[in-house]
Amino acid sequence: MNIDTILHGGRLDEIRLDRMLPRVFANEPIPESQVWRRDVTFRRPRRVLVAAESGGGKSSMCAYIYGARTDYEGRLLLNGHDARELGMEQWQALRRRHIAYLPQELSLFAELSAWDNIQLKNRLTGHATDRQVEEWLDALGISARRDYPAGRMSIGQQQRVAIIRAICQPFDFLLLDEPVSHLDARNNDIAAAIIAAEADRQKAAIISTSVGNAINLDYTQTLHL
Amino acid sequence: MNIISRLLRKNTSPARIAGFVLSNFIGLAIVTGALMFYRDARTIWTDEDSFIRSDFLVINKKVTSANTVGQSSSEFGADEIADIESQPWTRSVGRFTSNDYRVSAEVQAGGRGMSTYMFFESIPDEFVDVPSSQWLYREGSDEVPIILSKDYLALYNFGFASSAGLPQVSEGLMGSIPMTLTLRSEDGLRSRTVRGRVAGFSNRLNTILVPQRFMEETNRELGSGRERQPSRLIIDTSSPGDVAITKYLEAHDYEVAGDKSGTSAAFLLKLIVGIVVGVGGVITVLSLFVLLLSMALLMEKNRDKIHNLLMLGYDAGTVARPYESLVVWASVAAYVIAVGGALLMRLFYLEPVEGLGAHPEFPWLSLSVGLVLTVVIILLNILSLRRRIRASFRL
Repeated sequence: MNIDTILHGGRLDEIRLDRMLPRVFANEPIPESQVWRRDVTFRRPRRVLVAAESGGGKSSMCAYIYGARTDYEGRLLLNGHDARELGMEQWQALRRRHIAYLPQELSLFAELSAWDNIQLKNRLTGHATDRQVEEWLDALGISARRDYPAGRMSIGQQQRVAIIRAICQPFDFLLLDEPVSHLDARNNDIAAAIIAAEADRQKAAIISTSVGNAINLDYTQTLHL
Repeated sequence: MNIISRLLRKNTSPARIAGFVLSNFIGLAIVTGALMFYRDARTIWTDEDSFIRSDFLVINKKVTSANTVGQSSSEFGADEIADIESQPWTRSVGRFTSNDYRVSAEVQAGGRGMSTYMFFESIPDEFVDVPSSQWLYREGSDEVPIILSKDYLALYNFGFASSAGLPQVSEGLMGSIPMTLTLRSEDGLRSRTVRGRVAGFSNRLNTILVPQRFMEETNRELGSGRERQPSRLIIDTSSPGDVAITKYLEAHDYEVAGDKSGTSAAFLLKLIVGIVVGVGGVITVLSLFVLLLSMALLMEKNRDKIHNLLMLGYDAGTVARPYESLVVWASVAAYVIAVGGALLMRLFYLEPVEGLGAHPEFPWLSLSVGLVLTVVIILLNILSLRRRIRASFRL
């Protein structure tokens, strides 16, 4: 199956969670949820906040949508196609052009500098100019740290590097898993502005999770996990 | 080095890679070196005889005084031939046919004529390794191709010609001297004259060979019609030099014409080289596992990085490339050193082996065998590491 036929005309328009449930929850009574075991559809260019308590499965949800895990019941439908049928190459194509993901654990390469971490993604997608990346670093106040190994930066600084890396690609959906958990209010606003601008420019959707400190975007909907 | 190689090659152990290169070098050097030596040394025994392949044996019965006084036959009976045909090392058996009439040959050289009685034998065409155009005889033709024993030419040149004050002849000259053969029946009533053309000289056939078809035709025309059993046989064997053959021939009092000493030495050579190549092969296989395990360990240590690169959207090929190039470089280095080592060893033995009568050619085949092993090692490793990368797609 060609990825372009799934996307009809080249864009991913909707992600539907059809009675999905993490398998670990299968045998436990779960609290009332607006996502699990429901029929939820995320559409471009809407912005959804998924508010959750710790352990509610928000990282699992992001990993399912990104194809990183498949330990769920129910179905995940991308433009109506069952995601379980996608092969590795198709997921890789989706990740390069359609779904961007900022994982909670950031997954930066500790031995690489902030700059190399960002370029590792940006050279793959050829998305942002060096100048643009420098502007983002500058705006988030970490341009002085661009050549520092990521492993020697504070968590807050690493989080800002990871935010920039996440948007260094074309995307239809941006998954943000607790993107500002270690940022102050000022940097939260700056990050939100950068992300909102990129999403607007690409008419993309944003799915953001939070256990309390949500990134400061204009949400069209809030779901309680 | 690009960022990805820098990331993924971290934790590479130079000692483990060197361990692979060393063991692979030793294995490949033994395999290619032994094959090289075998193919070079083998030419000592497989003296160029373009007419009879080396896996053909010509046998006859030992002539005893009983044969002379007519109490025992030197001919092979049908049951004896059937027994040889049933041996496991026999592919096929050809019978020698003799002429059933008288032959005299006349040679004109330098204005002097020379005439002698002689004989013919023939064997089935499939045993004669000469292009069919040179061994062609058309029914009724007045020219017939002949293969002579090299010994006859030597006897003439070094025995007869020098004592009788006659000129010596080379093989090439012999072929161009016109030879008239007169074939006459026993009763002298029927006769036929043909021109003989020497098609070549053989080391391994102690006879004067004519095409089977010519023999059948002339025996029909001029022969007495007596049915005769062959006194010599040619055997196509599947394993020349096999001890079983020697044992069988000894038990039945058969003799092998041509060089016999070579075949058992060639067999021993084959056996020893086989063992050495086997040892080299085992070392090569072990080195393959050394590399497989080193790569597995390296990739296991970098598993998170491989997974994270795939999470960024890198395809498996790009992630595999740093490891693939490591495998290719290490294997090619081992091959190059092994070939260098084997060729160096060859330099040392080449002169003494050539002194024994070998005529070695450049060992393309042995080098190719080493190359094929190297390619197999590379492919198996690439296969394994690609599988490993696909397994890192989901942790």
